[in-house]
Amino acid sequence: MLFLSKLYLMLKALRVAIMGLDEFSDPHDYPLDDVIHRALRGREAVYPFGIFYRYGAVTLGSRSTIRNWGLGTLFLVPPAFVPGRLKKASEVFREPIYTDVDLSTEVGGFKVAMPLVVGSMGSTAIAGKTAIPIAKAAARHGIVMSIGENVATVRGYEKRYNRTHPSWKERAMAYLEELDSRGQGLGGLIVQQSVEDAYNELWNRVYTDKDIDQYIDRGLLGFEIKIGQGAKPGLGGIIKLPREEAEKLTRKYNIDFFEGRNAIRYSVPSTYTENILRSLIRNMRTQYPRVRIWVKIGPYRDVIKVISIAAEEGADAVVIDSREGGTGMAPTVSMRHFGYTTLTAALAIFEARKRGITVDMLLGGRVYDGGDVVKAVALGASGIYLARPLVLSALIRGEKGVANLLESISVETKMAVSALGKYHIKEVTPDDIAVSDHHVAKLYGLRYIHEIPISDR
Amino acid sequence: MPLHRAIKELEDMIGDKEKYREELRDFLSKSWRWAKEPKYRLIFKIQASALRAAREFLDSRGFVEVLSPIIGPVSDPGIRGAKQAVIDYYGHEYKVMSSAILYKQYMAASLGNIYMVSPNIRLEPIDSIYTGRHLAEFYQLDIEMFGADLWKAVTLSEELVSYMVKYIMDVHGAELEKLGRELHEYKPPFPRYSYKEAHAMSEEIGCRFKYGVEIPWRCEKELSAMHDTPFIIYEYPRGSRGFYDMEDPHRPNILLDFDMIYPEGFGEAVSGAQREYEPAKLVERIREGGEDPAKYKWFLEMARDLYPLMTAGFGLGIERFTRFICGLRAVWEARPYPKLPGIAPTP
Repeated sequence: MLFLSKLYLMLKALRVAIMGLDEFSDPHDYPLDDVIHRALRGREAVYPFGIFYRYGAVTLGSRSTIRNWGLGTLFLVPPAFVPGRLKKASEVFREPIYTDVDLSTEVGGFKVAMPLVVGSMGSTAIAGKTAIPIAKAAARHGIVMSIGENVATVRGYEKRYNRTHPSWKERAMAYLEELDSRGQGLGGLIVQQSVEDAYNELWNRVYTDKDIDQYIDRGLLGFEIKIGQGAKPGLGGIIKLPREEAEKLTRKYNIDFFEGRNAIRYSVPSTYTENILRSLIRNMRTQYPRVRIWVKIGPYRDVIKVISIAAEEGADAVVIDSREGGTGMAPTVSMRHFGYTTLTAALAIFEARKRGITVDMLLGGRVYDGGDVVKAVALGASGIYLARPLVLSALIRGEKGVANLLESISVETKMAVSALGKYHIKEVTPDDIAVSDHHVAKLYGLRYIHEIPISDR
Repeated sequence: MPLHRAIKELEDMIGDKEKYREELRDFLSKSWRWAKEPKYRLIFKIQASALRAAREFLDSRGFVEVLSPIIGPVSDPGIRGAKQAVIDYYGHEYKVMSSAILYKQYMAASLGNIYMVSPNIRLEPIDSIYTGRHLAEFYQLDIEMFGADLWKAVTLSEELVSYMVKYIMDVHGAELEKLGRELHEYKPPFPRYSYKEAHAMSEEIGCRFKYGVEIPWRCEKELSAMHDTPFIIYEYPRGSRGFYDMEDPHRPNILLDFDMIYPEGFGEAVSGAQREYEPAKLVERIREGGEDPAKYKWFLEMARDLYPLMTAGFGLGIERFTRFICGLRAVWEARPYPKLPGIAPTP
């Protein structure tokens, strides 16, 4: 008997040794199929068909269960009576369809083709590998892209430190040049700077870079203050890298040298108080008058205060990344225990709007489909911050995969907006959604879904 | 008093940015040619006289001239968007001084009242070539007083500038008139406005900017053009200046610092402050620049060792003074071998 339990344990151990803790990369939890489907099929992916389960061979229907991630407990509730559609018809002199929806808007001081932002990815191996195809597809589709902290310090500003990882400037120029050559002139580039990057004055370097100056002049640059991220609020950036590369970074980073060939590089979480954030934003507005200032935070409990300060000091956007946000590396303890989910982050945006705060706010954390985009915007979000779906799409089909994903989201978003009888993304309101959680509905004054039959709203 | 003729000339030049850049490229790349023209020979001589005047004034007041640092592990971070030049110092990154600010306090602790004529390197943003006030390489007259407060620094700066102007008038007045520059004596104290008053004044003349940020160049120029004498703007709000400017302990968000502005549109002359000396406050203020306090380790250790390191001081740009006193279009006329961001090669 003992032998059997020992064998069982050994087999279990072997599995863990090979797979690690797959709780956080688990395809049952993360909607991996959905992302792959989009990366492969592009706009066709707005329908769920594949080769076998194709049109005509199967019949379809919604699940009765509610998905419990992202904004799954919110529902879009289209009306039958649609004066907005009549108004649109009188403009186009025909029955409007979803392609009449306009997604172009402004996000954080940039004109964009749709309210999506490529979330900041840093110096992790996977971000390096997928950075260039993502940059190109993003620029071509007229959306803002952010480059995460530590890239210049760990991978090189201009020259590569390591043959396989593009430098900071390669990533930046891939985006900016594509924006000029094949893009629509829409979008913007956001630059994060960690305190380690500040040793080398990354922002000053970018601000004085001859090649980047013309883009700064055209208002296409933004600098992002990072006060944490969704997967590890309260902790700094973490990456793993070969021992010899880590040795070069010991002056700027805390490095944990394991036995063996690898080491872990920690970047500090950095210290903020209300005063520090306030003054930092002022400092930046003084130092860099030609760039936009963004603030990115993780799922912190004082989120409303951060938003208020950023708004008062004239920041151009605040990004709220929930615990469902992806990461190249984070400790188990943070992913299991820290912060709150996307719905709470979305409600924080809703609450900030109720308090009359007008600064642009973005939502991050497993939001990648058009329906969730519209729900977030309805609650007051100015746009969506996404990264993991882009990385996966780039791994599957490179630049084309990323373009496919973006196109599928665009088509879906237009469908969702038009279903609500509206034809511009900015027209959606909290009235367009209902909540399946009675408590949430009550707390925030949102429509409870089962209240619909008994109310005239 | 309206904008000076030279400032208007610069504005006309900048009207065509491409052409202006080309003109500058020509001007800078063969600077030895104009350096021997009578106009520039006079400017260089006046520059020497200005330094002589400053030394005379400061020496007579018991100030000691000290040598300035050239490199160090950190330099002044409080500079609008400019990058520091970096050198490889035996495997360590050292910065070429963007200003000697941190070392002035060091020497004031040693000698009391000190000054240095210090070279500064600032890799300014490309667009600063249009201000007429920025060079990548320039000199500052740096002054620091141990145990002094804001008002002592303000008063000294006024007396210094009025002495220097008078000196130049006496020695070079006639020659300057030939250059078309008419000078006036300026009697201290100069008009003094708080940042708050300056903000209101700027709004009144239609130059709007958000309260709390550094006064933008365009508005500073307008304010400057309203005056026929240099004037002081004091008590800038927290968040608009370097970490070393002291915050008023009794009035949060107000810094005990000041600028002196030249009249006629010439803009900033002097920038100074009473210095923060509480180590904990310094750490907090360094964080407001987004930086790791570890970067300023020696400075923080010094602040703790020499506690309370209470000093006040200011810096006066030599080329800016020269530009003002000679009535020049820009600082690129106010020194030999001028260097401007993005324009190379030059002598």
